[in-house]
Amino acid sequence: MLSIKNLHASVNGEEILKGINLEVKAGEVHAIMGPNGSGKSTLSQVLAGNETFEVTAGEVTLNGDNLLDLATEERAREGVFLAFQYPVEIPGVSNLQFLRTAVNAMRKHRGEEEMNAAEFMKLAKEVSKQVDLDPAFLKRGVNEGFSGGEKKRNEIMQALLLQPKLAILDETDSGLDIDALQVVSNGVNALRADDRAILMVTHYQRLLNHIVPDYVHVLAGGKIVKSGGRELALELEERGYGWLGIKDEDTSN
Amino acid sequence: MKPAPTLSSAFLHPAGQTLPEPLLALRKQRASALIDMPLPTRKTENWKYSSKYLKLSDDMAISLPAEGKAGTSLAIPGYKVVFINGVMIPEASEYPDLDGIVIQSFSDLDANEAQALSMQLGSALDHEQAQFARVNDARFEDGLLIRLKPGAVLDQPLFIIHNTEADACGSAYPRIYVEAGANSQMTLVEEYTSSGEASALVNTVTEFNLTDGANITSIRLNMEGENVQHIGATGVLQGRNSRFESHCVGFGGQLRRHDLQVRLEGEGAETKLNGVVVTQGKQHYDNHTSIDHVAANCTSEETYRNIAADQSHAIFNGRIHIHQDAQKSSADMNNKNLLLNNGAEIDTKPELEIYADDVKCAHGATIGQLDETSLFYLVSRGIGRREANVLLTMAFINELVSQIPVQAVRETAQLRLNDFFEQTFQEI
Repeated sequence: MLSIKNLHASVNGEEILKGINLEVKAGEVHAIMGPNGSGKSTLSQVLAGNETFEVTAGEVTLNGDNLLDLATEERAREGVFLAFQYPVEIPGVSNLQFLRTAVNAMRKHRGEEEMNAAEFMKLAKEVSKQVDLDPAFLKRGVNEGFSGGEKKRNEIMQALLLQPKLAILDETDSGLDIDALQVVSNGVNALRADDRAILMVTHYQRLLNHIVPDYVHVLAGGKIVKSGGRELALELEERGYGWLGIKDEDTSN
Repeated sequence: MKPAPTLSSAFLHPAGQTLPEPLLALRKQRASALIDMPLPTRKTENWKYSSKYLKLSDDMAISLPAEGKAGTSLAIPGYKVVFINGVMIPEASEYPDLDGIVIQSFSDLDANEAQALSMQLGSALDHEQAQFARVNDARFEDGLLIRLKPGAVLDQPLFIIHNTEADACGSAYPRIYVEAGANSQMTLVEEYTSSGEASALVNTVTEFNLTDGANITSIRLNMEGENVQHIGATGVLQGRNSRFESHCVGFGGQLRRHDLQVRLEGEGAETKLNGVVVTQGKQHYDNHTSIDHVAANCTSEETYRNIAADQSHAIFNGRIHIHQDAQKSSADMNNKNLLLNNGAEIDTKPELEIYADDVKCAHGATIGQLDETSLFYLVSRGIGRREANVLLTMAFINELVSQIPVQAVRETAQLRLNDFFEQTFQEI
């Protein structure tokens, strides 16, 4: 489904990704692990189409289509979804309006009829229950005044509503307490499907106890330095990144 | 040295003589102030950003005739009074005869009423700061008097539609005077519209005199055409424990100027001023507000937002003056501005003068552009660029639009905003 070949990307002239190669098939869950500054978030942002990052070489295809040729919104409509590490607060736009606009943009793209306010409200209420968000939040501004956990649950809610082909989860576990982690993980597990690929970007392995990946990759210095099965994550937890020759001050926990 | 420009003597002569004698006398007396009245230049502090948009010619001095078809963009759910070129059109107006409430055109006043009004007109405005109110003083052809007796409550909003028919060059001088007796209440909507393409000056004065405990909501909607130069002033006097709430929504044009002056003269008075301005093309809009905390224990809360697209120019000047005896005043002024294009200009200036020592006073002004991170977030969900821009621009003023307490006004503003978005973001 997703094929990344020799991907290089820079920000402000500084190269962050230095030749990433990755193949993800439909139905698979891949975890990308690595210390801070390894390029994990850059990879997520580049795949979603953030123009702050300049792709200098390489190729990314989604089901054979060149992803890098598409604008951010076109990638989203083709099924790319990024759950942000830091979801953006947008006061003045209600969650309901935001979510409905997004869902209808997708429906329109697929040639389906747009949902009216009442139909959408019903759907949104159901899905908000799935991620344990009080439906009252739908009336509030997008992520406005949300706790860290609520923001992350809102990201997962969006994924559930938009039903992407490729879901990229950027540090979805950061800032979550145990209960919220459980809720978010349940949401992600509900996304697992034979026709969907999930790319989980995470610093720690604790999320992987809840969402068991098929493959684990270690990203360091802008390259994937090691790939393996789920046991690689456990090994990383036990031994840190040091044994791979990677410096990381934050992996002591 | 070039002599400072003055108002052409062509502006000294009003057309109609149909007003009751005391008002004609007042007008004549005030006209003397127009002789050699200096016109603002870029050196005139309160007009420095706007004087270049002011283009008065002698043929614009002629009062436009009180004829034509009254237009409004509002579906009116309340009472309405229609003016064309500053003169009331009774057959287009509909309002009931209510106990304790006088709604009457200046022309219809009897001699006593006209005499009483002539003593009051102009009293709620500082003519030094709103120079052009003098022109209206000398030129009004008609006007609307609203008197609410103590305790009177108008059960529905009163819409005053001021339409300017500019099929030929000329000017109109709409005038409104509201006296709100103790504990009276009303919501008044002023809508300024226009038709015709000729150069026109619309020079308005609206005054509110709120007695103790009166509660007035004022909505001002400026929807005139590009060709209209609009110079309006609103003066508000507030007595003890009175409450005034203002919502101004304005779309730009060749020249748009509104001076809003509020004097909190009785203890415990409250005022809330909201304003939204949207400009595009080469349009202009200048809001000058001034709040005088004269008495103690008064509260003012002011929130203005400007959005400027293309090469347009929006100005906000907010003055708060806390007088020496106005202890325990609370004043909060906030002005945020959104520039949608590099060619647009916004000038904002908060002016605070505080002469009392026990006051709470806050002010803030910002100028910014649409946030790239928010845009990326929206488009990453499949929302189109154009729609994302519209959502974020609307978000900037949503809070103020949603506070307008009359649905018909909100809807009209929204339709006009939609047109603005259509034009502004068409190339995205």
